[in-house]
Amino acid sequence: MAQQGGQDPAAAIEMAKQEMDYRVALFNAMVSSCYEKCIDKRYKDGELSVGENSCIDRCSSKYWQVTGIVGQMLGSQGGMH
Amino acid sequence: MQGLPADQQQQLMQAIEQMQVRDSLRMYNTLVERCFKDCVESFRRKDLDATEEKCVQSCCSKFMKHSARVGIRFGELSSEAETQMQQMMAGQQAGGGK
Repeated sequence: MAQQGGQDPAAAIEMAKQEMDYRVALFNAMVSSCYEKCIDKRYKDGELSVGENSCIDRCSSKYWQVTGIVGQMLGSQGGMH
Repeated sequence: MQGLPADQQQQLMQAIEQMQVRDSLRMYNTLVERCFKDCVESFRRKDLDATEEKCVQSCCSKFMKHSARVGIRFGELSSEAETQMQQMMAGQQAGGGK
């Protein structure tokens, strides 16, 4: 993200940690949502079908796009603090 | 992370490691809950029957494969976004402002 040279080191670490927390949360939410949307819960075996694999790929892509749009909308509404 | 000095990098690495441990434990509990909810319906006996056991094994296997695949896509989408961001910023600098 930002690379400000003279920044307070504690603040830089804090920012990096927050960025990481955000990314982990985003990843977990993506896994969880796409699991609900894509996976057949009858568990006939332990493998993912071709359909499920495609669904996962598309779901991940769409989830990411939704993240982008929501980010834009929140940004334009006057900040996210 | 590359912009930080060595001792801060180490601090960050430790924080990341702690997060990974915490996240593994969280995933473990989530998976147990999910597979229990999806696979266990009856309580006529106190032991899992063969069907339930196989169901739980399949559930775990599927979830972990699913999680791995999402991880790959997440990585791709992430680096794609970062590349676009860098190109955008390079464009702004070269063009002399917005």
